[in-house]
Amino acid sequence: MGGSALLSMLNSCSPLPVLKTSSKESTLSIPEASFAENQNLLIIKNANYEFDILLVKKKDNTYNALYMQCTHESQPLSATKSGLFCSSHGSAFSLDGEVTTQPATRPLKKFKTQTENNQIIIHLTT
Amino acid sequence: MILLTCFSSNAQVITREDSLNAGLTPQNNPTVISGYGQAKVQYDLRFQTGTANLTRNVLFIGHRFSNRISFFSEMELEDAKVVGGKASGEISMEQLFLKFNINRNNYLVAGLFIPRIGIINENHLPTTFNTNDRPYVEQLVIPSTWRELGVGVYGQIPKIPGLNYSAALMNGLNSGGFVQGTGIADGKFEGSNATASNLAITGALLYYVNHFRVQVSSYYGGSAGLSQKQGDSLKLDYGAFGTPVALNEANVQYNGTNGIHCKALACFVSIKDADRINVAYANNTPSSMYGYYAEVGYNLFQPFTRLNSKSLLLFARYEAMNLNASLPKNGIEDGLQQKQFFIAGLHFQPLKGVSVKLDYVQRITGEYNKLLYVTNPYASNIPFYTTYQFINLGIGYSF
Repeated sequence: MGGSALLSMLNSCSPLPVLKTSSKESTLSIPEASFAENQNLLIIKNANYEFDILLVKKKDNTYNALYMQCTHESQPLSATKSGLFCSSHGSAFSLDGEVTTQPATRPLKKFKTQTENNQIIIHLTT
Repeated sequence: MILLTCFSSNAQVITREDSLNAGLTPQNNPTVISGYGQAKVQYDLRFQTGTANLTRNVLFIGHRFSNRISFFSEMELEDAKVVGGKASGEISMEQLFLKFNINRNNYLVAGLFIPRIGIINENHLPTTFNTNDRPYVEQLVIPSTWRELGVGVYGQIPKIPGLNYSAALMNGLNSGGFVQGTGIADGKFEGSNATASNLAITGALLYYVNHFRVQVSSYYGGSAGLSQKQGDSLKLDYGAFGTPVALNEANVQYNGTNGIHCKALACFVSIKDADRINVAYANNTPSSMYGYYAEVGYNLFQPFTRLNSKSLLLFARYEAMNLNASLPKNGIEDGLQQKQFFIAGLHFQPLKGVSVKLDYVQRITGEYNKLLYVTNPYASNIPFYTTYQFINLGIGYSF
C-alpha cells in the first residue's frame, strides 16, 4: 500500500467532530467556526431528534444537512469522509445524500440550509 | 423502514415520505409493509432443458411501538406454492424480532434474526447482488439467510468513523440434521422448535473506509442439544457448546464512484467431532469445509451522465469450495463436493429497486463417489458429468 493511501486511511480513522444542541426550535443555528480548518464534516446531535444530522461543508462553502437515518429500514448511519453507510444491510450514500449502494432506493432526508452572520441555519421542518 | 404504504391504527394510509418527515414517531403508530422477490428461467445447456421458477416472494411487516422499540418481520414463500403432501415450496419466517434502541449508536435485537456472517446472509435482497442465484459459497458453506433465535447487540464506534460491531447469542445447530453436500445448512433450526440447551455465539467487525467495506466474522456453537442420556448414548458431547461447529469468514467489497465494483469472500468451517457425529448419525460429516469467491464488475452506463439513474453492470465471478476438505477416519471422500463456478453476466437496473439479470454459469465438480449414491438402474437415468453450463434470466425487486 502506498504512503499516500495509508495516510488517507489513517486520516479517515480520526473521529468526526460532534456538536450537541438542545434547541427545540424548528431551526438550528450552527456557528461556521464550528468547522475546524480543513474539516468538512460535523455531526450534530439534538435530543429532540432520534437521529443525528451530518452537516457537510461543500467546496463552494454551501452546506448539506443530512438526516442520518437510512431510508431502507431506518437504521442509524455511520458517517465517514467518503460517505454514509448502513451497517445493517449495506446501503451507502454520498455526502450529497444520494444512494450509492442499494438496497436503499431513496436519498437521505436533506434539510434546507442558509448562512447568515457566520451562522449556518438548518431548517428542520423542510 | 422500507415503506411502500403505511397503515396506521386508524387505517389511514400515509406515504413513505410522510412517514419519513414525521420521523416515524410513536404518535403515528405506524405499521409498515414492504417486500422483495425474484423469479428466473434457467436453461441447462448440456441437457437442453429449461426450468422456470418464482424463486421467492418475501413480505415485510414492521411496526414502531416507540422511538426505542420496533418490530421487524419477514415472511417468505419459496417456489410459489406450498402443497400438502407433495414436494413443493416452503413458507417460513425469515426474520421476526424486536429491536431496542439503547442509544443513537447501539441497539439490541431479540427474536429470530440473521447474524452478521458473510455478505449475502444479512444483505440478501436480489437488487444487491448481480447473479440470479445467490453466490454458491454463501449457500453451501455459509448457509443462506441463516437465522436463529437469540439476542444480538449491534452498534458503531464513534471514535473510529465507519467501524461497526455486532455480537449475538443464539441457539446452536443440530448435527443430526447435517446432510452431505449442503454443509451445515440442514442443521439449522430457523426458529422452529430449536434446542436451546446448545448455544452459539457470533461476532463481527465491519469497517467502511474509502469506498471499501471490510468485514470479519466468527461463529462458534454447539451442535448437540441433547439430554445427558441421549448424549451418552450417542457418545456426543452435549451442553452449551458440546460437539462444536466453528466458522470464520472475511470479506471485502469495493464500490467506487468510477463504476467499478468488486467483492471477495473466504470462509472456513471446522467440525472437530465429525467422527463422533458420523458414528451417531451416519451422515458423512466432514471435519472441515472451505469456500471462497471473487467478483469484479463495471457499470457500462457510468460514462453517460444522462443514464445516472440506471445501471448496466457487466460482471464476472469465480467461486470454489470443498465441502469435504478434510474428513475424519470414518468419513468417505466424494469428489462431487469439490466445486468450482465460473459466472459472467449482465445486471440491468432501470431504476433502483428493480433488477433484470442475465448470467451464464459453468459448474465444475470432481467425480462423484459411487459408493455414496444409490442410483436408479433404469435406462432413463441421467448420466453424470463433471461440467454443466446454465443460462439464467430473471427479475428481482425490493421496495
